[in-house]
Order: sequence, then structure tokens, then C-alpha cells
Amino acid sequence: MDFGTLINGSYMIALFGAIVLMVGELVALKQMKNLIQLLIISSIAEIGYILLGLGMGTYEGISGALLHLEYQIVMRGLVFFAAAAFIARGRSHSIEKLQGIGKTMPVTATLFGFGLFSVMGLSPFKGSISKFLIIYAAIQSGHLVFAAMATLGSIIEAVYYLLVIQRLCFEEPVQEGQVAVKVRETSPALMAVLLVLSGLTAFMGLFPEPFIHNVEHAAAVLLGSTGPDQLPVFESPWSTLVLVPYVGGFIVYLVGRFSPALRNLLAVVITSTTVYLAWQGGDFDSLSKLFALIMAFIGFLVTLYSVGYLKGKQYTNRYFFFLLLMLGTLLGLTTSKELGNFYIFWELMTWTSYFLVIHEQSKKALRAGFKYFIMCTSGAYIMHFAILTLHVKLGTFDMAVISANLQVLSPSLMLVVLGMFIIGFGVKTGLAPMHSWLPDAHPVAPSSISAPMSGILTKTGIYGLVRILFVVFGAGLLAELGTAGQFSTIGFVISMLGALTFLVGEIMALRQTDIKKMLAYSTMAQVGEIVITLGIGTYLSLIGTLYHVLNHAIMKNLLFLAVGALIFRLKSQEITKFKGIGRVMPVTALCFSIGILAIMGLPPFNGFISKFLMLYASVQSGHLALAGLILMGSIIGGFYYLKLIRIIFFEKYEGPALKEAPITMLIPIGILTGLAVFNGLYPQAGMALVKPVADLIAAKGQMAVTAIPNVSIVWPMVAVIPIVGALVTYLLGRRSAKVSGWLAVVTMVATLITVFTASSGLDVFSWSFALLIAFIGVLNLLYSLGYMEHGHAQSRFYTFFVLMIGGLLGVAVSRDLFSFFAFWEIMSSWTLYFVIIHEETREALREGFKYFIFNYVGASLMFLGLLVLTAKTGTFEMGELAGRLSALPTGLVALGLILMLLGFAMKAAMLPFRIDYQMHPPTAPTPVSGYISSVLLKSAPFGMTKLFYVFGGVALISKFGLAGEMPSLMYAVAWISALTIVMAAALALLQSGMKRLLIYHTVSQMGYIILGVSLGSSLGVAGGLLHLVNHMLFKNLLFLVAGAIMVKTGIENLDRLGGIGRKMPVTLGVFAIGAFSIAGIPPFNGFTSKWIIYEAAMEKGYVFLALLSLLASVLTLASFVKFLHSAFFGQLPKELENVTEAPWTMQIPMIILAVLCVVFGVFPGIPLSTIVAIESWLGLTPVSVSLFGVDSGLGAWNAGVIAVLLATALIAGIGIYFIGNGKIRYTKIYTCGVTDLKAEEVHVNSHNLYESPKGLVKRCIKVLYQITGLGKGV
Amino acid sequence: MTDFVQLILNLLIFPGGLFAVALGLFLMGIDRKIAARLQRRVGPPVYQPFIDLVKLTRKEMVVPGTAHLQAFWFAPLLGFAGMMAAVTLIPIAGVYQGFKYSGDLLVLLYLLALPAIALMIGGSASSSPFGAVGFSREMVMMMSYELPLLVVLVTIALKVGLATGGIATFSLSEIVQFQLENGALLFDYTMLPALLAFLVFIPGNMGVVPFDIPEAETEIVEGPILEYSGTGLALFKLMTSLKMIVVLGLAIALFFPTPLGKNFLVNLLWFFLKCLVLMVIAITVVRTSTGRVRMDQAFKFYLRYPTVLALISLVLTLLQR
Repeated sequence: MDFGTLINGSYMIALFGAIVLMVGELVALKQMKNLIQLLIISSIAEIGYILLGLGMGTYEGISGALLHLEYQIVMRGLVFFAAAAFIARGRSHSIEKLQGIGKTMPVTATLFGFGLFSVMGLSPFKGSISKFLIIYAAIQSGHLVFAAMATLGSIIEAVYYLLVIQRLCFEEPVQEGQVAVKVRETSPALMAVLLVLSGLTAFMGLFPEPFIHNVEHAAAVLLGSTGPDQLPVFESPWSTLVLVPYVGGFIVYLVGRFSPALRNLLAVVITSTTVYLAWQGGDFDSLSKLFALIMAFIGFLVTLYSVGYLKGKQYTNRYFFFLLLMLGTLLGLTTSKELGNFYIFWELMTWTSYFLVIHEQSKKALRAGFKYFIMCTSGAYIMHFAILTLHVKLGTFDMAVISANLQVLSPSLMLVVLGMFIIGFGVKTGLAPMHSWLPDAHPVAPSSISAPMSGILTKTGIYGLVRILFVVFGAGLLAELGTAGQFSTIGFVISMLGALTFLVGEIMALRQTDIKKMLAYSTMAQVGEIVITLGIGTYLSLIGTLYHVLNHAIMKNLLFLAVGALIFRLKSQEITKFKGIGRVMPVTALCFSIGILAIMGLPPFNGFISKFLMLYASVQSGHLALAGLILMGSIIGGFYYLKLIRIIFFEKYEGPALKEAPITMLIPIGILTGLAVFNGLYPQAGMALVKPVADLIAAKGQMAVTAIPNVSIVWPMVAVIPIVGALVTYLLGRRSAKVSGWLAVVTMVATLITVFTASSGLDVFSWSFALLIAFIGVLNLLYSLGYMEHGHAQSRFYTFFVLMIGGLLGVAVSRDLFSFFAFWEIMSSWTLYFVIIHEETREALREGFKYFIFNYVGASLMFLGLLVLTAKTGTFEMGELAGRLSALPTGLVALGLILMLLGFAMKAAMLPFRIDYQMHPPTAPTPVSGYISSVLLKSAPFGMTKLFYVFGGVALISKFGLAGEMPSLMYAVAWISALTIVMAAALALLQSGMKRLLIYHTVSQMGYIILGVSLGSSLGVAGGLLHLVNHMLFKNLLFLVAGAIMVKTGIENLDRLGGIGRKMPVTLGVFAIGAFSIAGIPPFNGFTSKWIIYEAAMEKGYVFLALLSLLASVLTLASFVKFLHSAFFGQLPKELENVTEAPWTMQIPMIILAVLCVVFGVFPGIPLSTIVAIESWLGLTPVSVSLFGVDSGLGAWNAGVIAVLLATALIAGIGIYFIGNGKIRYTKIYTCGVTDLKAEEVHVNSHNLYESPKGLVKRCIKVLYQITGLGKGV
Repeated sequence: MTDFVQLILNLLIFPGGLFAVALGLFLMGIDRKIAARLQRRVGPPVYQPFIDLVKLTRKEMVVPGTAHLQAFWFAPLLGFAGMMAAVTLIPIAGVYQGFKYSGDLLVLLYLLALPAIALMIGGSASSSPFGAVGFSREMVMMMSYELPLLVVLVTIALKVGLATGGIATFSLSEIVQFQLENGALLFDYTMLPALLAFLVFIPGNMGVVPFDIPEAETEIVEGPILEYSGTGLALFKLMTSLKMIVVLGLAIALFFPTPLGKNFLVNLLWFFLKCLVLMVIAITVVRTSTGRVRMDQAFKFYLRYPTVLALISLVLTLLQR
């Protein structure tokens, strides 16, 4: 009988089979009450598969059907018997009543689960391949609909089986009493049957060859066709790298039944062996090596961590078993060279990790695990469809062969195949909209599992994308499949998915109250970032992507493990419960915050490097919008990351005393922290792993290999000394606050000397700026000795202060833009934040937060601008940049310059940035506020000057339009600064807080500096730079005075002070000098520089600019007279009667500054001589100077003359005092005869002054807000 | 060295120092006499201010115990010294050239603030509430008249600059020189509004009725100088008389420096005469014919009328460019 022909014609059989299986599965899904019924219906559905296979009538179909029959009989037998055992014990068929029965009968439950998973095609002994064969046959014979139905059926089957398993084996039992009963699980006979069947199942899984052989034979006989060995070979032997952890898993499980300690040791040994093996490499390429190494290494750390984490918990054996298995599958899928194995590992990975997700077996965990399993398995089934299609068309699973023969396929088929792959990988990676399992699964898993889930499991999807898209298909082929803009179509789809994921991740993370959920969303965001860049598909983007994969694996594991350690002690995942935990678990929390800083992309940690590379790649390939998107998202990220740091470190801790995490947990955390720092400091190491991969891909896809930007920060000596000094200060200063303070001062002095002697290597501009930074640094640190004397956590304060100065020095002396930006971030992000919030008051925290975000935004703008300028020119060197920029299109350069300029303008707090957001908050310790105001903010005009005159070049800026004789861009800046001058000075009038008042004036004075610099003439730049120096002196002086008052009186508000001038004569004296200087009274230093700026403005004919800046003088004067009166003069309140003068450590810096204010006022030539040198270095015609001021030309001025005049006149006046009657009589003040007034009653407070102008200012603000529609008034 | 001696002499003897003080006191005496006449009183003799001064230096000083002594004594010195220096900067055409440094107008502007600052420091340091109120008012007055003053100065700087080299100049001597060559700005119609603004500025700056708000003896009993007596008060009086010369001299230098021929004495007399006329117009008549206004009224007044007037000149000047 020719059975073959009979079946060949019987399309009907196949159709019938397909219907049976679909209906069967659907009915089974609905029928979730009776266990036996469910199993029977599902078995009927399974027959549908067999019919389908037979109906195909092909060799593959029939052998598949027969094989399926064989397998299913055995496996279902196992399931049925196990179910029978349950029913016998539970005395019910109802699934509901049997819930949790597995708890009392663990062996049966295990075998039941084993059977069911095997039916689905999953088990630790690998599943059967029969169902694949059937689907393969369907695809092969063109019955795609049937294949799809079969796949869908599998998915449905997975849903209800998993529900049953969870219900019976993992959920809590309904009948409480059963748990306590210790009886035999089931009759020995039934148990024996179960064991035999499961042994058989395992055997069939492990050694399928004889069975396959058998059915091949049968099929050949049935079809009467040629011999065996025609079936697709799904699997090839596993490599040692996989087998070690995989077999290790079984061994560990067995050992664990006897000795947990030995088990732990063994697990660690096995995983460390895999690390070694992965490092050794083997028969796989660099892409596999990179990922395998990441997997193995993180796996090792997680295992080590788990030892401590799981101590004394339930089901540890099972945990380690699946952990090792999962590690094996991860290694397998990253190293396998053909898609069959790849797919099997993929499925097994999902399966093993599922058990780890539900490890704690809570209701939530089970639900999340269910979702995870179903989603990922469905994705995998879809991917599997693609794999089978490829095999049908090309006859092989071998990726190299597939890659070589792809041209055979039609483009549309390729697109479909790729689409299916993307879905499969996308689900695993958590790409929106296929992400919903991810935020559910992470928080419920044990932290030791969330870590690898986030850190490496999601990366398997990335691996798959890279492998399939760029290695198997190759960039060249992708481009041929169609393009969208500068993307390939596929790349575009991926990038858009990435963008969506990224946004969902960042935004959702903001809203989380569960710390692990927040981190889970943050993972989505990071993965989104990676995928966005991946889609771009250039050489550099791959470098960035892969590097970020590596770094994110480190950072995210660090974060989850550290958070796990915190949760381990705290027993809660609520973010609000973490308040102040950093105080009780400092080591863990420190590592955690390093992870946070790294993931925020702040230098000098690893995230910065890879993020920089990714953004660089985006901009370089013309995807500015994507770079902008990523930066914007990072800013959102800043909010929640920083919130975590704030809560963990700076809130009050209220819980019970907690111990640090156990050492086995701390070691992996420490290693990861070390790596986060190491990769940041020495990116070449990671690059050595990543670059070969990119080269491989480039070779495959005929991709242009571009030079990789050098992203290692150049550490100048002057920055290294303070940074190292800061760390020493911290370590040695923990014992004694005094020691740490003095260490900080010594560090700064050493830095100052280094800067001073390092003049040869630096240009004069950088050198003199660095010199000022270090000099004021010494003064303020010395001052801090007194100021901080009774403060808390002094060593922390000194450490971060010195670190910040170190960053600033780096900014000053960096010669390439990359280092410049890195140092910029160091000085204006985290170090600044930590010093600002040092006092830890609510207000300080809030303001520090605001300021941090503000700076982060500014830096991001600058970042983008920097990328625009450098990515296209291919150099970071400031010197070379100017030349190369002229070759670029004007619009692009303009964009880059404007973005950078915006960044600088924000730092300098120029309009229109809201003044109350942009200020470095007055809540910082005063030496820091002073330092920020006087020195740190100068980085903005410093940078602007460099931008205008060094790497931008005025000539270049002139290209995009002139306003009169001035480049329009600089003209705009000049106007902005002039308006800022007046506005800030006017707003300062309203302030009654000492530091707030000073800060508004800082903004105003910064306006002068920037006005001068942006005028672009020799005179203007000279004035601007001179004012930069002068402002440094007098503003710092004024802050230090405010600090002295605060230390001695404890009062910050001018309204509550009065009359302390008599108690603090030195402070009063230096304050007067500072006030005269800032108000620009000759012959103090502020006068000369402001005067040069006015002259410069008038020289250019900018009357209104001059007017505005002149007008501010009188406003400034008003503020400081008010300060003088309210603090020092008037009546002394009773509570301040015991106020004394500040200690010498505080007086000396103030006196030095005051003396310098006078000296630089009378002899402006001293600073001007350096400024002249700077001007010639900048390429401007230097102004001619003498000791007493500007020598020739329009700005000619002699400060000495006016000093002599005033001094002589003063002496004359004193003479008159001497001529007069010297008799003095002391009385009470005149109060119209009323004598019983208290001091407070006759003191006029600061808020009572200047009513009319203040009213005007307020009205102006009101009107301004009405016009602009902005928020409430000041 | 001769330069240096010359400078000191200029400061101490002529045209600053002794000469300016004498001139100032004399003008004040005349002012008082005319004011009395306008009010149908007899008035003190013209030399009364000299007598007052001598008398004050002979008296003991009564100082509040709660005052900040150093600052209290330093304040009059500061104002006095500032005005001494300022007077030295005022050129008298045909008599004294003033300074050659290009920015002396700006220096003068800042020095002109010193008397107010001195009063403020003194009032504040005296620890008297009247002093504090007075100092606050002084400051507000300063904020009021500063804007019109600035606009006037910038307008003239621009006007002269544009006419000479195309670049605005803050050099008082250049401004004078320009007028000597091209005729006084007084006769330039575009500068008339500016002149008016400056005329309005004078009483505000001098603190006379109706703008004597900071001292307002009937309200806050002389405000900042309430607690001053003896030599301290004498220094303040000296400061005021010097300031009179500075303000009037500045107005003359800005608008009508034109000398009468080349004779030194004639020109000096001519300068005196111009001062006198200006004083009568801008101070004496004003203060005898008005009553004191409130602080907020003065503030608004200055921000409106003189500022607008000055701006008109500025715009006209810009249009001429």
C-alpha cells in the first residue's frame, strides 16, 4: 500500500489535526477546574499535532508525528500518574482544591512538573524536538498557517500548564493541616512507576538519537523513500564551557542535600572555573567571547553573593541548581554557532530563570513569573519560527553557512525573518511594548537574581540582535533591505523601539516607590539607550553599544546587589524605608551610590565613558535628535537617581541598629564597584574586549571603520594631587576632624605650589586661572577650619570640597575637550552636590537637588554642543579644533557653539534661566558658597573665553551674522549679560538673607564679566578678565564675612542682626572693603575693572549696555549699605551681647582678601600684566598697561592718582579732627524724650529699608510674570 | 615729582581744598541770604557759614554710647575726602584743566556717591533710628536721581564722542575741549532736555527742599546727622559746601564751560558767576518756592520726568549719528 500518496493528498487530515489542536488547546485553557479533564483534553489537542504532522505527508512531517507520539506517550504517562498521585492524596479532582498539594509531596510534585515541562518541550534534560519537526514540516511544505496555529497552540498550552504547575506545586496549600502531616507521599508502586517514567523521559531527552533514528526508519518505510539522516539536526554537542556549570548544577544539587557548606563552596568553584574558561576563549568569535565573559563573570559574582544572601533560607538547593543551569544556558547561547543550539539554550534560559524569579513563591512572584515565562516563551516561539524558516530555505542551522547563503532569500522574506527575530529578542530585552514582564519580575525575584536578570539576561536579547543583525546578516545587507533616512529600515525600527523603551523606562522609573521596581525601569531605560544606538549601526555606534553593555552589566549588577544587601538587612523594598540607611550601612551604601553616579553617566565612573561613546556615535552619524533624546532622558534619570542618594544618605535614620552586610555579599559588591571605577579611569581595558567585536562586524558588513575617539581622561598633576589628597583626607580624617581639615589645607597648598611651578606646560590663561583656583582654595579651606569647627562629618566635607577643587583645576588645565568636559562634570555634579547639602537640612537637600539638576541640564546642553563640534571634526584637541571647524557647515558649527554657550550661560546663571533655580544655594556651608560664587562659577566665563577666542574663534562666530561690527552671537550674549546685571542687582534689593543677597550679586557681577568678555575688544576682554579676578577676591571676602557672622551669631537673616560691628571689628573692617569694592568705589579693585568694561562698551558705541551696567552700581551699593547697616550698625540685640570676633583661622583669609582688594585697586597693573599675556595668547591685541592701570588709548586710567588724592584728602580731614575740640561726651541716642525703649525697638531692620524701589522691583516682577505667564512672584 | 606736588597742591589749595571750601561756603552764604530775601526775611550775613564752621570746631563732641565709634567718625571723613578729590577733577575752562585721564567722568560719578555713602554710614553707625530712616531715604534718593544722571552723562559722552572720534568718551577734559572748539552744549537744542534733567538732578543730589527727604528736620530731625556735633558735623558741612562746587562745576563743565577770553582772574570770576546763577536757579529758588514731597513721590518723579527728558536727548543724539 502506498501510504505516502494516500496521505499526500490528504490535506484534510492536516486541516483536521490543526483544528483539533487549536480547539483542544482552547477548551483546555477554559477548562481549568478539573485536573484529569484538563489533562485529557490537552492530550486530545496533542493528537492534533500528530495528525498535523502526518497530514503534511512529508518525510519530516511523518517522522515528527511519530516521534511526537513516542515522546508524548512516555511524558504524558508520567504526568497522568503523578496527577493520579495528587488526586489520591488530595481526594479531589478539582485543581482549586488540590492547590499547593505539591508542598506536602515534593517528590511527586517535582516529577509532575518535570513531566509537564517536558511535554512543553522543556526540562533540565532538554526537551523533545518532535514538535519542532512537525512545525518544520508545515513550514517546509508551505503551510504557514498550520505552522502558525501549531505555534499558537504551544503558547496556549504553555499558559495553562504553567498555571497548573504553579497552582499545584508552588502556591500555598488551601488546607492548612496537610502540611504538618509527615506521611509517605504515595504508594511505593506508584512511585516506582513515576520514577521509571521520569527516568525514561530524561533518557529520551538526553539521548534522542536512537529514537530519532527509529522514526526516520519508520517514516522512510512509510513513504518508501530513501534512507535516514535527512532530518534537520537541531542540536550539536555542548561545549565544555556550557557543561561545566550545567553538570555542575546537578552535582551542586546533590551535594546540597548533604552539606550546604560544601555546596556553596562547590558552586563558587564551578562558577569561577567558568570565568576562567570563558577568559581562555575557545571555539568562538570575539562577540561570543565578550558576552560569555560578561555572563560568566557576573554569574560568578552572583553565586558568591548568593552564598551570603540565601543563608538560612528555604529551597537553597533548588536555587543553586537553577542558577548554575541558567549560567550554563547563558554561556551556551552566547557561544553557540548554530541556531538550533542557540534556540534550545534560549528556551532553557527562560525556563531556568523562571524558577529563580518565582523562588520566593509568593503570590506576586508567581504571577510575575508566569507573565515572564509566558511572554518570553511566546517570543521565543516566534523567533523559532524564523529559525525554522531559515533552515527550510537554506538547509542548515549553522550561522556561518546561513550568513554566506543569505542572498538566496527574497528581501521581503528576510524582512519577515528579521522581524520575528526582533520580536523574540525584543521580549527578552524588555523592549517596549513587549516589556511588561520586566518591571514585574525584577522586584519579586531575590535581589541576587534581579541583578543578573537586569544586568545580563536582558543583554542576551542585545547579543541576539547584534549576532543576527550584524554578524549573520551584516550591516551591508541590512542597508540593502531598505533605508529610512540615514538608518537602514531595520535599524530605524530598532532605534525607535529603543527610544520608546527608553522613554517608558525613564518616565516610569520616576514614579516608583519600590526601589527594585525603580531599578527595573532604569534597566529598561539603559537598554533602550543601548538599542537606540545599536540601530544606528555604524562602527562607532557598535563600539558604544557594546561598551555600554559591558558597563551596564557592571553597574546594574552593582546596584541590584547593593540594594539587595540593604534589603537583606532592612527587610523592605519601599524607598521611603531606606531613609538614612547609608548611615548605618556605609560601605554598601557607598558602593551603591558609586553605582548610581556611574549609571547617571558621571565621570570618573564607567557609565560616563560608554555613554559618551554612544552619544558621540549618534552625533557623528548625524543623529543629533537621538543624542538629544538620550540626554533629555538622562536628565529625567537624574531626578530619581539623585533622590535615591538623598534618601539613603541624607535623611534621618530611624530604624533599629543594623549590621553591615555579610562579607560574602560585600566582596562581589566591592569588586563591581572597583570595576565601575576602573573602567572609568582606564577605558582601554574594556575597549580591548569591545573593539575586536566591532572589527568583526565591520569586516562582515563592509562597514567603514572610523577612528575611535580617545575617551580616557587625561589626568593633569594639578588635578591628581587634590583628588588623591581628598581621599587621604577622608581616610585619615575619620578619626580626627582637625587632622582632616589640616590635611585638606596642606593638600591645597601642595596643589598651589604645583600649579605655580607647572607654568611651563600650560598656556598662561589656564595657568593663571588654575593659580587662582588653588589660591582661593587654600584660603577657603583655612577658613573652613574655623567655620566647620563644631560641624558634623567634617572629613566628608573636606573630602568633597577638595575633590570639587580638583575637578575645577582639571577644567582649567585640560587641553582637550573630552577631559575638559569630564572635569566639568566632576566639579559641577556630584562633588558639588555633596558639599552643598553638607548641612543636611531639608532646605539644603532641596536646593542642592535643584542645583544639581540645573547643572546637569546645563552640562547636557554643553555635552551636545561639544559632540556636535568634535564628532564631525574628529578631534578633542582645542588647538586643532579651531582650524578644522572652519571646514564644517556654518549652521552646524553655529548649533554646536550655541549649545555650548547655553551650557556656559547656565553655569554663569545668565538670563533667562530662572534665578531661583540657578543659584548655588545659600544653604551650603559658607566657605563653599563663597568658593562657588567666587571661583567655581568663573568656569563659565573661562569656558566662554576659550570658546570665543580659542577653539571657536571670533572669525568663525562672525560667519553666522554680524550685529554692527560685532558677531551677532556675541552681541546677544552681551545683551543678556547686561540685563542680567540689572535684574539680579534689583532682585538682590529684596533679599534679607545674607547669603541670598550675596548670591544675587554674584549673578549680577558675573554679568559684568561676561559682558566684558563678549564685547570682543581688547579692552572688553581685559575688563572682563580683570573683573573675574577682582570679583573672586571681593565676593569671596564678602561670603567669608557672612560666614563669620553666622558662625558667631548663628543668624543668617539680616533682619535679626544688628550692631555687631563693635563686637567684630576686624570683620566689619574687611566687610567695608569688600562692600566698597563690589560697589565699585575708587580706589578699590571693583572700580577699575568695571570702569574698563564701561569704557569698552562705550568704545563700541553700545550706550545702553553701558547704561544698564552703570545703573546696577547704585543698586549694588544699596544692597551693601543695607547689609552694613543691618548687620554691623544700629542697635545690638540682647541675645548677641556675647558675640566675639572670629578665630584667627577665619580672620587670616579675610584679611588677605581684603588687602588684595585694596592692592589690586590701587595697582591694577599687577593682575593686568598677566591679563595682557593672556590676551596676546588669545590672539587679541593686548591693552597697554602700567602698574597703576591701563596706559594708553581710550581706557587710559591711573588708579594710583585717585588713591593718592583720596589718601591725602583723608589725612586733611583727620587734620581737621585734630584742629577741633577733642572733648567727647557720651550720651544716649535722641529718641524724642522716650527713654524706656529696648534696643530691638529702636533698631531699623533691613526689610524696612528702601520701600519705594523695592515696590518698583516687585511690580516689575509682577508685570514680567503677567507678560510671560510664568509662575508666582518672588 | 613736580606732577605729584602739583597734584597735591591742586587738591589742597586750588582749585580744590581751601579755595573750593571758601567758594562753597561763600556760595552757601549767598544762597541763605537770597533765600531769606525771597521769603521776606533779613537772613544771616553772607559769611555766616564760615562762622558756623569755626564755632562747630570749637565745641565738644556729643556721641551716642551705642554708636559704632570708628565708623561714626570715619563717615564724615569719607564724605569730605571724596568731595575734596572730586573737586580736583572739575575743570574750570581757562583756569584749570582738570584731569587728562579719559575716564574721569566715571570717577567723578562714583566719587559723587561718596557723600551719600558717608551720610548713610554715619546715620547707620550712630545707632539712632532716625539715622537709619534717614540713611534709607538717602539711598532711595540716590537710586532715584542716579538714572537720569547716568543718562545725561552717557548722552553727553556719546554726543562728544560721535562728534570727535566716533567713539564715546568719558573724559571730562575732552568734553570741555570739544565745547571750547564747537560751542557750548547749552546752545545745542538736542541737549536741552538733558540740561533740564540735570537741573532737576541738582536739588535732589544736594538734598534741598523739596528733596530734603533724608534729612527732613521737621520729620526725622536731620536724620543721618542728628547725632553729629562739633568737628564731625563741621566736616559734614564742609563736605556739603564742596559738593555744591562739584555739582555746579560739573554742570558748567558739561553744558557751558565757555570762558571769557584768556585772563585767569576773569575766567575765575566768570566761573563763580555761572555757579551763582546756576545755584540760584537750581537750588535757591527751588527750595524757597516748594514744600517737601514724600519719598515715594520723589522716587516716582525722578524715574519719570528727568529720566524721560534725558532719554529724549539720548535718542536725539543717537538719531544724529
